[in-house]
Amino acid sequence: MGGIALTTSGLGHAYGNIAALHSLDFEVPRGRTGLVGANGAGKSTLIKIMLGILTPTTGTATVLGLDTRRDTIDIRSIVGYMPEGPCLPLDQTAADFLVYAAGTAGLPKRAARQRASDVLTLVGLNEERFRYLGDFSTGMKQRAKLAQAVVHDPELVFLDEPTAGLDPSGREEMLDLIERLGGFGIDVIVSSHVLRDIERTCDWVVMLDNGTLLNAGPIGGHQTEGTVLLELIGDPQPVADALTSTGATVATRGRTLEVSLAHGDVYDVVRDAVTRTGASLRRLDGTGGSLEDMFLKHGETR
Amino acid sequence: MTDRSGAVYDLGYEPFEGERSGRKGARKAVYFDGIRRVLGLRRKARRKVMPWMLLFIAIVPSIVAVGVSFVIPADAADAIDLASQNADFFLLGGTMALLFTALASPELLIPDRKDGVLSMLASRPLTATDYLGTRFASLATVVISFMIIPQLVLFIGQAASDPEGLFQGFANAADTLPKIAAVAAAYTIAYIPLGFVIASLSNRKAIATASYLAVMIALTAFAEALVRESNITGGRWFVLLTPINTADAANVWIFGDSNPDSLYVAADIHPGAGILALVVIGAGLSLFALNRYRRLM
Repeated sequence: MGGIALTTSGLGHAYGNIAALHSLDFEVPRGRTGLVGANGAGKSTLIKIMLGILTPTTGTATVLGLDTRRDTIDIRSIVGYMPEGPCLPLDQTAADFLVYAAGTAGLPKRAARQRASDVLTLVGLNEERFRYLGDFSTGMKQRAKLAQAVVHDPELVFLDEPTAGLDPSGREEMLDLIERLGGFGIDVIVSSHVLRDIERTCDWVVMLDNGTLLNAGPIGGHQTEGTVLLELIGDPQPVADALTSTGATVATRGRTLEVSLAHGDVYDVVRDAVTRTGASLRRLDGTGGSLEDMFLKHGETR
Repeated sequence: MTDRSGAVYDLGYEPFEGERSGRKGARKAVYFDGIRRVLGLRRKARRKVMPWMLLFIAIVPSIVAVGVSFVIPADAADAIDLASQNADFFLLGGTMALLFTALASPELLIPDRKDGVLSMLASRPLTATDYLGTRFASLATVVISFMIIPQLVLFIGQAASDPEGLFQGFANAADTLPKIAAVAAAYTIAYIPLGFVIASLSNRKAIATASYLAVMIALTAFAEALVRESNITGGRWFVLLTPINTADAANVWIFGDSNPDSLYVAADIHPGAGILALVVIGAGLSLFALNRYRRLM
């Protein structure tokens, strides 16, 4: 699935005198993209601009090639949105609400009923479809929110903090569902302040901090670079020598080696060195390649 | 021998490849949702009680009147002349419509804001005008039904009791149809815009309902005092700001009846001016509500 999902050019937004976004310039390819940043970083504002709910103060933005100011209705016809806050009518059953949600996206009644049933099954709420949404648990409500966002088979879906308020097992189930959406041909923009969620589900990341862009790029590409901490059982020197001979930079601290590689996958080099020397590993930690490290690094250099 | 081998089919995800009706379909969905919501359809039983009770009160007397008109001979002293009943039944239907609007306006607008459904709708091919317009249309459909159904019962009863036969009876009574439509429109414009403004300002349904009724009654009481009890110059024009009195006066005027107790008679203002005021005030109130929703969608 090639092409561009989102673009921004000099995009800014202010609520009165308070600037929420400062001149953002980035491109996001189709696929699964994470929008990360602390609370108040401007993630929700950015999503609302993309949906045409907010008008940018400066600059332009496009969604699937459509201008957010000019083509608002066209954009809303092909995207879905799972808001961070509540969006469910508590006095309706899940099935009725999803039929309604599909209808508001322009699906004919029969198709809306069929899609509602299919999507409730997809999110694991088929057994609960005739229960009132007001009686749902937090986890079930989050799934129902995801269901309304995809019930009309959008080309792209915005998920704003989809794991908020979920317990660990609910969180895992939600992340599984998000991962599956890509396989259905639905592009996903996930906003979260939990970096591990983004790392787990996305291929691309846009990092925001106080409304400014820290970085926009692929997640996988960064993870193959950086530094690895390697703690060994026994003498670390043979492994250090083997690593140095491949061009890696190695710093030894007791039985722990800090291994850096300028080009290539540092994990491949470590694996080969450990295999060749027959050493035993106690611990292997990636540093500098995780999304958290990326976030900190870009934050410091800004 | 039966083949007991089975297969597990992964039905997978079926993309929707049919035609989407976009904005038009979205408006249609919101419209029918509005009608279901105000009538309590596909909701818990207690949500159906008030709307259906009010509809029952509005409709049953007209059915009784038609039934009685068939039982009592037309030349009897206490016979009911159905042709003269339109304005009276509009007064009853209008009162039920007022109570229904007080309950239904908050029901239509407040939960969507309070439960956050508006944020879902803001991601659909809808504008704020589409949303409020279709919500208005949903409520107007039911409010007009409160008034039209009793009138249609009278219309059919009148035609059926026509000595020239049913079909000629329809033709003879047909001139009341545009009057019925005009009066129903007057009540709708008088009642709904204010209901929407109050519902757009409140987050509690009960408070919105009580506020709406309080404002409606207070406007009438204030106009009564100004017109009948005070000597303030120009005070009589305040009657134009009373939706209840204006709609009732328009009803009586359109059907060619007279009501000497009307506030419009006391104020010496023609009901036509009241209808004009209703349209202008209704448009202003609608724009106010729309302006609030433009910031949300």
